[in-house]
Amino acid sequence: MKKGTADIGNTFGSIGRRSVLKGMGGLGLAAVAGNFLASRDARAAESLNYMCWEGYNAPSILEPFQKQKDASISIDLITDSAGGFAKLAAGASRDFDLVSSDSPWIQRMGPAGFCRFIDEADFAGQFAEFYPQFRAPFAPLAFEGKATGLPTRWGWVGPTVNTKFDKLETWSSYAPVFDSAYKDKICLLDWGDWPIMPLALYAGINPYEELDEAALEEVRKVLRAAFKNTRAIVADLAVAQKGLIDGSFRALIGGGTYATSALRMKGHDYIQSIVPEPKNGLKQGIIWMEATGLIDNGKNSQIAADFLKYIVSPEVAKQLAITEATCNLVPNSKAEALFSEEEKKALQMDYMWTAWDNSQFHTVAPNIDDMLAIWQEELAAR
Amino acid sequence: MQIEQKSWKDPVLIAMVAPLAIVMVVFFLIPLLMTAVLTFQTTQYYRLSWTWNLKIWTEVFSKPHYWTIMLRTVGMAVVCVLLCVLIAYPAAYAMATRLKSYKTQIQILIIFAFLTDAVLKTFGWILILDKNGVANWLLMHIGFPPEMLNLLFSPAGTMIGMVYNLVTYPMFTIYLSLVRIDRDLVLAAYDAGASRLRTFFEVTLPLSRPGLYSGAVLVFVLSLGAFLEPRVLGGGTSPLASELIRQSFETRVNWPLGAALTLVLIAIGALTLAVSAALTLRRRPNQRSAA
Repeated sequence: MKKGTADIGNTFGSIGRRSVLKGMGGLGLAAVAGNFLASRDARAAESLNYMCWEGYNAPSILEPFQKQKDASISIDLITDSAGGFAKLAAGASRDFDLVSSDSPWIQRMGPAGFCRFIDEADFAGQFAEFYPQFRAPFAPLAFEGKATGLPTRWGWVGPTVNTKFDKLETWSSYAPVFDSAYKDKICLLDWGDWPIMPLALYAGINPYEELDEAALEEVRKVLRAAFKNTRAIVADLAVAQKGLIDGSFRALIGGGTYATSALRMKGHDYIQSIVPEPKNGLKQGIIWMEATGLIDNGKNSQIAADFLKYIVSPEVAKQLAITEATCNLVPNSKAEALFSEEEKKALQMDYMWTAWDNSQFHTVAPNIDDMLAIWQEELAAR
Repeated sequence: MQIEQKSWKDPVLIAMVAPLAIVMVVFFLIPLLMTAVLTFQTTQYYRLSWTWNLKIWTEVFSKPHYWTIMLRTVGMAVVCVLLCVLIAYPAAYAMATRLKSYKTQIQILIIFAFLTDAVLKTFGWILILDKNGVANWLLMHIGFPPEMLNLLFSPAGTMIGMVYNLVTYPMFTIYLSLVRIDRDLVLAAYDAGASRLRTFFEVTLPLSRPGLYSGAVLVFVLSLGAFLEPRVLGGGTSPLASELIRQSFETRVNWPLGAALTLVLIAIGALTLAVSAALTLRRRPNQRSAA
């Protein structure tokens, strides 16, 4: 740490030396472990560089593939889809074979010029296993008629509610976010554009269309009004979930099933994410989707394509759906048979097509930077 | 003068300085220069576009909310410095003078505080500061109304986290200054008839000033970059500069803007330190002449 001065070193000499020795020991162990891993990598016949969200890197998912294909997989975890894309666009695309991220960013690999497009004939078997809504040609992942990737996980964004405190019907609209009766009881999730989009929809603005100054002003007004009533803007899912369970937050805005299912899986089945009713002709729900795409890195190995087929297979899809941190739906219809009744209930599978029908599909909004700038400005003035 | 000129040409001295100089140039000056270069570019469709212009700097200087956050950051850092020093000085003084027999145990505790992960410590405060947390539970049990404190997700919560995570730095530096004070000087003051309070203000405090300043500088610099505390304990009520920079780099993928805001923060920090150093140096001759 940043305490290394000679004085301090002298004063706490013995402890300092022990710490140094322990540190050296740790470094030695790390070096040995590094050598071991390196030699293991060197032994593997093939290697894959994989950029993904947490959950895709579970050993139970990666290890069977590595054994089966005699391959080693190097993981680079992303914490932000836009940041991951920017890294690839800045030149890292040459180093990676495939990427799992939010679907708009997989689609954007097409125009960005580093997408290895999916041969739909080669992946016909995988598309056939998907629910009809996700089968080829699948517009949200298409660029110039070619598929940029395959969908891997999905869910919907709507208010996440603790039904011990509120009836679900109360949240058939986002109105309580602005209701003084809910002052200091609302939590906005600080997840980039996610909390902005539903609030814009509530204001009657479709954020997925090109917006003029007047529309952006409406977005500003709705964010300002929401901030007035909001108790906290929270980035950490566990903190938000804790508040929701103990009732200090009556609803989470901007999360939806991503913030819900893991709690329901742990027995908190009174927590639910719903999609509000359409308002002024605008669907108020948002469908989010993660996808996995191949990267044109000059090598374009077969093993990367094999891994893509592997990760959307029913058994792996089921594992991908139920992870420790979050639980999400998967597009593979055959995986549905592998879920237990409790798992289906936790994933709100009985509600999924209702949510789908009442939602917009999340894409990169044309004015997203303007809206994020407005978010920053209103947050600073809070 | 000649000796100094010769010393710079001394190959042994150059060889000794070279490794550090190379490290500083490669890992500090060049990245800083690259950051500065980045501010004159733009991003288009989440990709960096090498078009030299002043667009980002125009934005930085024309949008008041950036400066609101920068000023709030400096304000929070100054308050944090004051609180840390006020808490750390008596503790360090007690360690150096009154609690000598427990010195080792206290040092071990402080080292533990250093070694404990800041993330863990910060998240731990949620359990204490929450409406239904430990603090309110204790207050309720001694007769105060329920949920009296509402510190979580407030600027006060952010400040508590910052002070808690940083207070050990001045505690160390002040303690090291205090133990190096020649005890005979204090005894001489007593012999000359000075009270304990006067001895403290005229002997102990001035002699411990280096530790006080270095601790304050450490806390100030680290406070300017505080990220975890406003994010976890502030709940969006006190966004500071580091969060603004993160949002610009990560969420908006606007690297030139993030780079410009980083430079602004560095400049504000350096300027504040330069002003405080100048004020400190200016006071010293006066004190000497007064003495």
